[in-house]
Amino acid sequence: MKKILKLIGLTLLLSLSTSAMAKNVVKVDLANGASVWADTCMRCHNLRKPEDFNKRAWKYSMNHMRVRAGLTGQETRDVLAFILSTKTAEDAK
Amino acid sequence: MKSKMFKLLFIALLITVVKANEKGTLDVLKLQKELYKLKKSIDKVESELEGNAKSGFQLAGYTSFDWADIQKNDNEFSAVKFAPIFHAQYGDLFQFEGEVEFSTKEDGETAAELEYAAGTLFINDYMGLQIGKFMSPLGQFVQNLHPSWINKLPSTPVGFGHDGAAPTSNIGMGLRGGLPKVKGIRSNYATFVSNAPTFGTASDGDVVIDASGKTSSGDISKTWGGRFAINPMGGMEIGFSSALGKVSETLTAITNVGAAVGDKIARDYDIFGTDFMFNSNSFDLKAEYIRQTIGESQFSTIEGGIWKAWYAQVSYQLFASNFEPVLRYSDYHNPEAKRNQWAAGLNYLFSNNLIAKVAYEYNSNEDKAAVNSSINDNRVLVQLAFGF
Repeated sequence: MKKILKLIGLTLLLSLSTSAMAKNVVKVDLANGASVWADTCMRCHNLRKPEDFNKRAWKYSMNHMRVRAGLTGQETRDVLAFILSTKTAEDAK
Repeated sequence: MKSKMFKLLFIALLITVVKANEKGTLDVLKLQKELYKLKKSIDKVESELEGNAKSGFQLAGYTSFDWADIQKNDNEFSAVKFAPIFHAQYGDLFQFEGEVEFSTKEDGETAAELEYAAGTLFINDYMGLQIGKFMSPLGQFVQNLHPSWINKLPSTPVGFGHDGAAPTSNIGMGLRGGLPKVKGIRSNYATFVSNAPTFGTASDGDVVIDASGKTSSGDISKTWGGRFAINPMGGMEIGFSSALGKVSETLTAITNVGAAVGDKIARDYDIFGTDFMFNSNSFDLKAEYIRQTIGESQFSTIEGGIWKAWYAQVSYQLFASNFEPVLRYSDYHNPEAKRNQWAAGLNYLFSNNLIAKVAYEYNSNEDKAAVNSSINDNRVLVQLAFGF
């Protein structure tokens, strides 16, 4: 058990340091977002349209889907950026 | 004289054009500044509207209303389900998600079940540490397809409900996430360690593996497992699941080996599963196989064996319409029973998250004496499902 905890601790430490290094680089790829959105979401359920949720709700939904669908952080940001970019002025809130 | 005048005129024109350009440039710069100010004030208003907080929450979920006409029984409004899902997060670092499923029982009492309540600490872009009660990541139906607005039929495939062949939830912790692309192919993983499931005879007499999350596993070793999935092409996923550990059994009868009634024993336990999903435009194909194996024990009077189930489902949203026919075959074997089911349905999509479903289930059982016969009756099912 101690070994397991040590391994988990080590993994956490390594990962956090990697995370910290990459923290300042936040770029989004709308084309990749569109592709991941179309390929991944529809595998399990009908597509939810951008106007179905407001911006804030999309943020929470995408983090939920990051866990459920096994998306990377970058893919999550790309999909979110793509969805928000397609929202019209009428449903932008 | 004439040429001088032309020269003067030309210079005057030039000065006017330059002046006008300068003014235009100034106007554009002024406009840009105004736009920038406007954008800033919009951002400010938006931030204020959203509380500009790192912490926040969202309420989502689904609900469904069912009607059933069961062979040899009356028709009835058979189920009402309300499953609110709570999402909360702290920036991009931590997320909590919890679902409570409320449903009405036959006697009118309300049943409430904590389906999952788990926090995920996002360690980096490729890894999250999940802890709490989470849906079993083994396979895909239980974790991703069970909500009624997602499931394309009003019922679950045989063997994929509670106490079937597919484990439902775990209490423990795990690492999961998406992996970097390799030669353009995406993949994802989920690993976990959790408390052991229990094994024994249920109140209706059936021998069951209760693989729903528990806060105690006694002295029994933990269950270790995971799923790895690849996406060889857009819209396709192939997954492989496996887990290993022990189950806990409380003896209700004894053999002649020295154990006492009430003793807890550990029995070998393993899980294997594979799943496939493909979606292209309006065509959808899903299939899954899952198997749980219980080892034999000299202390118990209950024999071990294999609990296995599989299903395949195809659906197609008819071109330029909101109608979607669905066909599913599912099969469930355990040491006491062999059941299979055909289900054919037609859905009408008012929208992508508001769906009316009508289906006919043809159930058959190769060992009628072993299980409750009412579940083997054929039936017509109608459901209205809404995801929000």
